[in-house]
Amino acid sequence: MAVRCALCGLALAAALAAGTARAEPYEVNPDAAARDPDYAAGKAAMERKDWPQAVLRFEKAATGDPQNPDLQNYLGYSLRNLKQFEAALRHYQQALLLDPRHRGAHEYIGETYLLLGDLARAERHLTALREICLLSCEELEDLARAVAAFRAQRSTVQP
Amino acid sequence: MNSHAIHGIVFAICAAAAPVATAHETDEGEGRLGKVAFQNSCNPRVQEQLLRGVAMLHSFWYSEGEKTFRAVLAQDPSCSIATWGIASLLMSNPLAGQGASPKGAEMAQALITLGRQTPSRTQRERDYLEAVAAYYEDWANRPERARQQARAKAYEALAERYRGDDEAQIFSALYIAGTQAAGDQSYSAYLKAVAILEPQFAKHPDHPGVAHYLIHSYDAPPIADKGLTAARRYAGIAPAAPHALHMPSHIFTRVGAWEESAAANARSAAVAVKGDEPDEAYHASDYMAYAYLQMARDEEARRAIAAVQSVTGITPSRSAAPYAIALMPARYAVERGAWKEAMQLQPQSSVLYFPEASTYFARGLGAVHSGDLAEAQNNADALAAIHKRLLEAKNAYWAGEVEVQRFALAAWLALAGGKQDDALKLMRAAADNEDRSEKNIVTPGRLVPARELLGEMLLEVKQPALALVEFEASQQREPNRFRGFYGAARAADGAGDRAKAAAYYRQMLALASKGDGTRPELVQAKAYLARP
Repeated sequence: MAVRCALCGLALAAALAAGTARAEPYEVNPDAAARDPDYAAGKAAMERKDWPQAVLRFEKAATGDPQNPDLQNYLGYSLRNLKQFEAALRHYQQALLLDPRHRGAHEYIGETYLLLGDLARAERHLTALREICLLSCEELEDLARAVAAFRAQRSTVQP
Repeated sequence: MNSHAIHGIVFAICAAAAPVATAHETDEGEGRLGKVAFQNSCNPRVQEQLLRGVAMLHSFWYSEGEKTFRAVLAQDPSCSIATWGIASLLMSNPLAGQGASPKGAEMAQALITLGRQTPSRTQRERDYLEAVAAYYEDWANRPERARQQARAKAYEALAERYRGDDEAQIFSALYIAGTQAAGDQSYSAYLKAVAILEPQFAKHPDHPGVAHYLIHSYDAPPIADKGLTAARRYAGIAPAAPHALHMPSHIFTRVGAWEESAAANARSAAVAVKGDEPDEAYHASDYMAYAYLQMARDEEARRAIAAVQSVTGITPSRSAAPYAIALMPARYAVERGAWKEAMQLQPQSSVLYFPEASTYFARGLGAVHSGDLAEAQNNADALAAIHKRLLEAKNAYWAGEVEVQRFALAAWLALAGGKQDDALKLMRAAADNEDRSEKNIVTPGRLVPARELLGEMLLEVKQPALALVEFEASQQREPNRFRGFYGAARAADGAGDRAKAAAYYRQMLALASKGDGTRPELVQAKAYLARP
């Protein structure tokens, strides 16, 4: 399991690159960052891949705005990049608790599950995205690509 | 008796060095703009014009307002509050979400610098200038939403500092209302503005800004009826301003008062054309055409559209005119169910992308109803491309609106392809998504309410009882629509509720009592009601 997951992680790197590079992730409330300097600073830190600073500023912003699913999603994303997967999952789950239709959180939590080798859970979020997006959407396409990459990689390492 | 005597000017000019307090019916033989009191230290010679400029600002009369404030500055270069006035006008409509143009922002920043260099006589005037400066600070590097927030915060601080200054209270209410998010259906910013404005309305019943901003602050389905008093009063307060003549129709549209809406917009469009305000003329004409179409006064709608289509000189980067140019002919076809005509609509590219989405949507609906599924798919593809472009442009609101259109068109395509479950799922998602957000103020209404389309689809698949639920739900948000009544009547009849069907048909006929009488739905309604 551990070996397989290490390989899965390698295979996923390319597939996840698209999600990492996306300029404008899905946000329920795109206005919130304009109101909160910590939120804005967190996004700026995320842009320059300063993940510890991003976590710090998003945590501050989330203290003042605990019902904001976007902030929870960004926290999850920043923690995932710090390889703190369990903490990342908690924030993604919180984002989905606050907004079960949050496209970004569904994509990112699905990708995190793939990094942990948990295909079944990742596919649940892929299904959820299909229900939400209905037609194509970037989050669905990215997670579908990541799932496909994971499957391809697994089939090559399995006897 | 001259107009001053008629309107009873209360106009006191104090010594030039001292602050001037004025309460002025702004009418210098150039048309009434309402009663404005704005304390200032400018030269007594410019008082009339300065107050007229402030009144124009309150009625969003940008071109004339700027000319007026510039004329004030030419006569009294020390009148720094005039630079505040121009900078305020250059922010454009604070409720529309677009804000200043880059050129306008540059101009405003230069004026603010000029104003700061002018030795103001009062701290209050300096504070007004700094309040508007908050909007322009680091302008190029901040999204409009951040500028709006900064502006509201600065004006709230101004209002707090000068609690006895009613103008500060009124402007702060406007800029608070300007922070209302489309997805916030508690309407928190609007209601915060209302709480400031209602007491001001009691105090200043002839103030153009108070009535105007109340209309904007009540421009949402569940609270719109509370704005009727302000709506009915505003046009009479400032009949010289095209926007003042148009604005009441925002409330009239929300409550389905089509006769009043058409009349208000006919006046507004005429004044706008005469005053060389092409954007305002198109905006008013779109609202007017929408109202006429609800009353089945199709020929008047056609004439209104044709009349404005000869107006040139629009601002392509502002949504008002490009949106109206795209929507008017699309509405004219779709509201009449003229599907072949809808298919022939010609998309006109705009720098904003979202206006032409409605053209493709109308073309797609036209094609699918005419049985041309390949053409419908072409239009669905065009909608997908526009949706992507809007996402790339970080225009989340309009991307959401276009996604609703994508879902709806895909739903009708699925239905035509025999995939009924998929069709209903997509159509319901379109309706639910649309209901989670509010229409933009640029439009009297979306091309067609998605929930109304869901009702029509349920009728198609022989589920009239469910269709009736959707038509009635749609009427809660967009009351008194011709197609809504027609669909509800058919659905009620299909569900076996003949009394309700008759009631809806009667409402539809009443709505169309001054109509052309050419729509087949009217014949159908009369025949239904004539049956024993």
